[in-house]
Amino acid sequence: MRTSRYGYATINGAHILGIALLAGSIITLDLKLLGAWPRADRMSLVRVLVPVATTGFVIVAISGSLLFSAQATEYVKLPVFQIKMGLVLAGILSAASLHLRYGPWLEMAPLDRKVYLAALSLLIWICALFAGRFIAFSAT
Amino acid sequence: MKKIALLVGVCISVLIASATHLLAHHGWRWTTGNNIELIGIIKSVRLGNPHGRLSVDAEGDVWLVEVGQPWRNERAGLKPGDLAIGVEIKIIGEPSSDVKERRMKAEKIYLGGKEFILYPDRD
Repeated sequence: MRTSRYGYATINGAHILGIALLAGSIITLDLKLLGAWPRADRMSLVRVLVPVATTGFVIVAISGSLLFSAQATEYVKLPVFQIKMGLVLAGILSAASLHLRYGPWLEMAPLDRKVYLAALSLLIWICALFAGRFIAFSAT
Repeated sequence: MKKIALLVGVCISVLIASATHLLAHHGWRWTTGNNIELIGIIKSVRLGNPHGRLSVDAEGDVWLVEVGQPWRNERAGLKPGDLAIGVEIKIIGEPSSDVKERRMKAEKIYLGGKEFILYPDRD
């Protein structure tokens, strides 16, 4: 990771791809849970978006670990990186609580009411994304 | 008519977006835009992605100097071991826009009189 030019760049790109899948699917799903697109069938959306989000997360985790390994001690000391990892953890916990409460496909979530926990999830993941981007603009 | 207008609008947006990106040039936004020269002894070396860094002792002041990623240094002619602790170095580059920081980004490096140009397109 430290020495390869295009290898490093590719892992960087993969991290972005993972974020695109993860953020795209979670943001869409959260908005649906908050009442967006009332005429779109929720179960169909969930069945597509949960696997996409999971795939995105796996890509993000693997590529992120590789990127982290390039200068682990510097990243660990960086406040914006610590904030980002805290937010990622919070995002994972919020996803876990949604699924523990409502089922793997959120099948037990009420269809006629908004799921307000989704608003927190939305906020957490968007902030995590920006915190991650800010890393490159922070002094180490 | 509406489709053409939409297409023209999209093209203009893409052009503007790319133009601002070119001007914004990631990596140099924290510098002043003007060159300085630093001469000193290398105190520490940490090369590799994403940033290569040296600390240079210039008459008692320790500066943090960002050098290129490995491919950039190699392209400039630097060999492994050239940048080493104890070596006298001259650097021409841009300092941090925060004057309190002793930090700069190297454009040209001089070791033993030999010149290594990291950013050929910059002055």
